[in-house]
Formats: sequence, C-alpha cells, structure tokens
Amino acid sequence: MLTIRISFEKRAEAAYISLLDLQRVFHRILKRSGLPVYYTQGFNPHIYLSFNCPLSLGQESICESCEVKTADENADLNAWQDALQPYMPHGIRILHIGPAQRKSTEIQAAEYELTLPPAGLEAVEAYNRSPQVLVEKKTKRGRRELDLKTWLPALQAEPLAGGGCKVTVRLPCAAGEGDNLNPALLLASFAPCGVQPWQCEILRTRLFTADGSEFR
Amino acid sequence: MPTIQELRQALFSVQKPGRYTGGEPGSVLKDKTKVDLRVAFCFPDTYEIGMSFLGEKILYELLNRHENWWCERAFMPWVDMKEQMETLGIPLYCLESKDPLREFDIVGFSLEYELCYTNVLAMLQLSGIPLRAADRDERWPLVIAGGPCVCNGEPMADFFDVMQLGEGEQMLQDICACVEQGKKAGWNRERQLLELAKIPGVYVPAFYDVTYGEDGRIRAVAPNRPGVPARVTKAIVRDMDSFPPPENFVVPIVGTVQDRASVEVLRGCVRGCRFCQAGQIYRPFRERSPELISGCARTLCANTGYDELSLMSLSTSDHSRLEEILDRLNAWAEADHVSLSLPSLRVDNFSQSLVEKTSRVRKSGLTFAAEAGTQRLRDVINKNVTWEQIERGCRIAFSEGYTSVKLYFMMGLPTETMEDIKGIADTAQQVVDLFYTIPERPKGKGVQVTCSVACFVPKPWTPFQFCAQDTRETLREKQKYLLSCVHSRKIKVNYHDSATSVLEGIFAKGDRRLGAVIEQAFRQGSFFDTWEEFFDYDRWLAAFKACGVDPDFYNYRAIDLDETAPWDHMDVGVGRAFLVREYQKALRAQTTPPCNRQCSGCGANKLLGGPCFAYDQDQL
Ligand code: SF4
Repeated sequence: MLTIRISFEKRAEAAYISLLDLQRVFHRILKRSGLPVYYTQGFNPHIYLSFNCPLSLGQESICESCEVKTADENADLNAWQDALQPYMPHGIRILHIGPAQRKSTEIQAAEYELTLPPAGLEAVEAYNRSPQVLVEKKTKRGRRELDLKTWLPALQAEPLAGGGCKVTVRLPCAAGEGDNLNPALLLASFAPCGVQPWQCEILRTRLFTADGSEFR
Repeated sequence: MPTIQELRQALFSVQKPGRYTGGEPGSVLKDKTKVDLRVAFCFPDTYEIGMSFLGEKILYELLNRHENWWCERAFMPWVDMKEQMETLGIPLYCLESKDPLREFDIVGFSLEYELCYTNVLAMLQLSGIPLRAADRDERWPLVIAGGPCVCNGEPMADFFDVMQLGEGEQMLQDICACVEQGKKAGWNRERQLLELAKIPGVYVPAFYDVTYGEDGRIRAVAPNRPGVPARVTKAIVRDMDSFPPPENFVVPIVGTVQDRASVEVLRGCVRGCRFCQAGQIYRPFRERSPELISGCARTLCANTGYDELSLMSLSTSDHSRLEEILDRLNAWAEADHVSLSLPSLRVDNFSQSLVEKTSRVRKSGLTFAAEAGTQRLRDVINKNVTWEQIERGCRIAFSEGYTSVKLYFMMGLPTETMEDIKGIADTAQQVVDLFYTIPERPKGKGVQVTCSVACFVPKPWTPFQFCAQDTRETLREKQKYLLSCVHSRKIKVNYHDSATSVLEGIFAKGDRRLGAVIEQAFRQGSFFDTWEEFFDYDRWLAAFKACGVDPDFYNYRAIDLDETAPWDHMDVGVGRAFLVREYQKALRAQTTPPCNRQCSGCGANKLLGGPCFAYDQDQL
C-alpha cells in the first residue's frame, strides 16, 4: 500500500472553504474519478483521506496537502492530477501528486507570510520592544495563556510600497498532538496598535520537519 | 465592487463565509466589458436552499450560453451577513463578479413559496434599489419575477416591473433579448414594458387596473394600455425534448439541501390531486425521452463530478417509459460511479422491479404520501390511493429491508371530520402491525412509522381555491385529537405550528392590497418568514391593522363559484369551469381519473394545440 500525497494551493475564495467542506469535495471528486484509491474496509467503506495541518478559515496557503492510499504501485500520478483538477473549486490548484516522502507526523513548524496594513509597522516595533507578549489560546482543555516571545523573540518588518509591511514568521505546527500556534494569535496581539485582523493577510508558505528541512 | 479583500471584514465574523464568496466549480465568469446584458438571478432565501432548486440551474445555463449575456447569482444573506453588509455599507452583490445588483440590467427573483416575499424586499433594499416599480425608471434594473407564485403574484404586484407566468426556458430568453434591444435603442421604462408585454407569458402588473366592490371583492381587472392582453397566457415548453436538461451545474462547496446531479424527466402531473397547485399549474403532462434523459444525465455527472443522480419531477414513476430510463441509466451509472435516486416514488405503482433497479440507493427510509387518513377523504381530494396500495408498497419495502416509513398527511382538508383525523393514527397503526406479519422483515430491528402532518392551505388554480382555510383554533383541536388517537411508541407524529400556514393562505389568495401590508411588515423588521426563529405573527397582525386590511377576508372566506378572483386575469391552462366541476365532485367524494387514462377536459391542452395524450395507444 502506497501513501500518495496531494499538494495544493488554497487561495482567494478557497480560503473560505472549511475543512469539513473541503473533505466533502475531495471525497466526492475522488470517488467519482474512479481512481484506484484505497477504501477503508468494513460495513460502510469510505475513502481513506487525511488532511495535513489544515488551515483556519480565511487563511491562504501554497503548501496544503492531503493523503490517500493506493494498492496500485504503478499508478500514473500525472493522470491523477488531470482527473481531479477540473472539479476543484476556484482557488484550489493541485501542485503535485506523488508518493509521500516523509510522514505527516514529522511536520513540526509552518512558515507564514503576513501582510499588514500601515499600522502594522508600529505594531511590529511595539512587539519587539515588549519583554513579553501574552495571548490567550483556546485548547480542548480550556484556555491557556502563552508568551509569543517564546517562539518569536523578534519580528522583522519588510515595508511594502503601498504603505503596509510584510512579516515572515515560523510557528510550531504539528499534525498530531504536538504544539500548534495559529498566526491569528499574533495578529490579535497587534490590536492595541490599531491593526484589525481582517486588514491582514495570512499566507502559509512552507512546512518544516524536526530537522529543519522542508516537508514535501 | 467589493473585492475579496474588502469583503474580508464582513466574512471575518460570519458563519459559513463560503456562502458569500462564489468560486464554485461550474460557476460562469465572463468579461463584463464584453457583454451586452447582465442578469442577476436572485433567490430570496439562503444559499443552501436556493442552490437546491433546479429551475435556477436550468436558466443559468440557458442564459449563459449566449456569449454576450452574463447571468450571475445572488441569495439572501443570513442574518449575521446582512448585518455586516449594512454596517459596512456593502451592497448586495452577485457571487460571480461581486458587482452590486443595481449595476445589472435585469434583477430576477424566483418566487417558489409565498413566505419569501419579505426577503425579496430585503434583497432589494440591501441593493439600494427602490422597492416599488413605480419608483424605478430606466436608470434602475428591470426587476422581474418568475416561479410558481406568479400564478397569483398580485400581493407582490407593486414591487415587480414584470412577472413571468409559466415556464421560463423561452420566455426569459425573449425578455433578455427585448431588454438588450431596448438598452441599445435607449427606450424609456414605459416603452420597454410595452414591448415586453408582447412576449407570451409576460405580465406587467402596472398595465392592469383593479376595481373593487363595496364588500371588498374584486369587481374587475382590466388592462389600462392599448394592445395589452386582457388575460396573460402561461408560457409553456411544448416539446420537452426541444430544451435538453442542463449539462452542467454550479456545484456548491458549502453543503446544501439538494447536493446532487438531477435531471427533470417530465413536467406536469397526470394525477389531478385537488389540493395540489403544482399538479394543476404545470399541466399538461409532458415527458422527456429516455435517450435524452440518459445522455444529458451522463454528461451532467461527468461535468460536475457528482456521484449521485436523482430523477426529478412531480411524479417520476408516472413516466410511461420509466423502466427504459432506468435501464439506460444503469447501463453506465455503475461504471461511472454514480448512484441513482428517485425522490418521488408513489405508493400505487411502487413495484418490485423498481425497488431492485434503485436498490443501490441507501435503504434509509421510504416516504409515502397518503395525504388523508380515510378512503372517503382521499376520494374527496382525489388522491387515488387505497389502503391496499399502501399495504403493498410497505410490504415490498419491508421485505427489501426497510425499517422506517414516513407517511405524509394533511390536516384541515375540505369536508374533514374528526373521523378522518383518527384515520391518520389508524393508518399508521396498520403499517406498524403489517411489519410484524412479514416473515422476511429485517430481524432484530423495530419499525418506525413517522406521520408528518402538514396544514392544508387552499391555493389558487385548484378546485379547493373556493374553500376557506381552517382556523388555527380548529387545527389545534385536530392536532390534539390526533395525538390522543396514537397508542404506539413506534408511531411518531410531526406537525408544524399553523401560524405560518395562515400567512401562506393569505398571500396565496391575496390581491394587490397586500403589497402595502408586506412592505409595512418588512419595514417593521419581518424577513426570513419561513424561518420559525424569525417569524413574528404579531408583527404581521399589526401590519394588517396599520394598513386597514382584514387578513381573514383572504383565507377564512369561501370564494363564490362565480366570483372574480385576484388571479383571474392569468390563464395557466386549467379553466374555471373545470375547477368548479372538480370542486363539486369533491363535495360528493367522487374521484376523477388521471389524464393518461381519460381526459377530464380541464382546458390545458389548448396550450399544446391538441390532445395531451394519444389515447388509442396504450399509455399505461
Ligand atoms: S386537457 Fe385533459 S388530459 Fe390534458 S391536462 Fe387537462 S384534463 Fe389532463
């Protein structure tokens, strides 16, 4: 049994597709395609399909992926791409389909490109000045207070022509139980400087494994 | 045009933002600088409900086939989004281009049920378009309506420039062509409407004057412009094969009520149930050929990627070549990974082979429309179903592994007595008892019979249009009595509060004087009236009072057999004489055979220009 990873972009309108809806869309397209994907056994067989570190609603990504399995060792994966792409919602572009090189449980961190409005420059400076930046994180076990500085001691703002700025951050992001930090928490901490979350764009650009290499 | 970036603030704080972004596979994008005509197709309810209607999909494809026209979609935003749009000053926009409705040439609404009327006003207001036709000149979009409610669109007459009576396939394309012509020629609104009124099925409410007698009843309705027809005749597709069903759908990403491929196999209904408006206004019965159905369905599934196909119509099992359709579909469906479903199976011809041909469909539950609890009342309403047929249908279903049955009934039917109400409970009990007599029944499982009881609402163009609606008090008593007749835990009774049915009854048979009431209620905060959490009956009562309109006049009053009804300047095919005849037969509990067995001379065949059926051939 081969694990096949489908890597795709989730941009523009597609940023507003929830994980649940995305799963439904992929299930339907895969089922209808007739591709030799593995179905779980049992009373009510369904396609094995697993999304890696799905994004929050409203965020964009050029490095999303999901996994299916196949018993067909010689599957023509380029043909898969041609079979699936036409049915995808606008904004979902399949980048690559190939045998999974690394396990999704190896994902440790994600890189995000944040585009901030003009007030963002000041917010970044304020962040860098503060000894600690406490944010509240909702978890399954309740609320937890975190210091963002533990992960991001300093931010680098890259001014943009239009007045805003761009900030690139790397945050913990694990597929399973491990640590996870949503970049929206960082944006929320900018509120006192007049940066509203909806004025910012969040684009996930890369995923990394524990040894610091890029997850593909 | 708000871009996705500008919309972000609104989308940030609403539930299911995917409803407001468009981008679904199958949605049509064009270059607006290269099109001559832009149509906003609006559904006055949520995205999830609107995207489930087939009519919109049919017309969306037909209009967009014209390279120089662009048809887009808009829906009623849910409460949270409506509030965001109002606060942020985002006008209602179409999902494809995100352009506001007021930039379109035509803004069309699909009126599928009466309780969506306030949503129409809400959508116009969100667009910044004046609500009343009288306040709009050629600088505003032409606001039009279509859908079954137009068979009596009078309550909404003030708000629409044009209403389309009947089937839109040809009519809407003619309207678009005429508007394109008028736009290029620079016609003013009056001239445009006069030209539009020449198109078969087009009704321009402002071109008719209604006069009333002292008792409030209508004295006459007459055209007030030369050349405008005294009666508007319904537009109809004579040959269903001349308009192939859609070969592509916009495939919603956010889950909707109906999320599957569907193909309309026939239009109209042969049955003539006396309570059913659809069964009358879509007459005559017309079928599509199995070849066309199967071919288009296959293309549709290939284009959309849907893995489920349903055969749509008022009564799919009445298709004279249903088995052939199923054979053709089954020839490719499995290889294409598509499963079939038949949503409107009927008890009386629910056969073993039909069950087998659709056996790949989930065995979740079966629904049977019995409509009334006793044979006498079923004869009154001409629901020609007997207990023997229900029994046979259930027997097959139980043997095939089904364990739950849903029975549909109505309450408040003409001539109904408490005996008939008890009959509902008795019928359900008989089905429960039947289950345990069947040796092949699914073992280890109990049976569940659900009675879904709707409140009957008399509708125009039916033999019961003359009847008064049951009052809420009477209906409540009947509901209470029904519950007291149920003695098994295996029987579940569902019914709805009757307040919404009251309003439905008023609008259904209403006239133009209700326009003021609808506007008043809307201005006082009414919208989403189909949603229980927003429906406020008292606010409606206050609106009637404020406008000096007596609601009871419309739904609690019987209409005289020779009285001019508000919808009599429409002609949907069936004639008044036929409706009167049927009404009188109903009072005598006499049934009328279905059209494919014997013509009852309703008059609808004139729309085809000949008889509806070739009776010498064996149609059954
Ligand atoms: S004309 Fe006769 S066959 Fe045709 S719809 Fe009317 S009753 Fe039925």
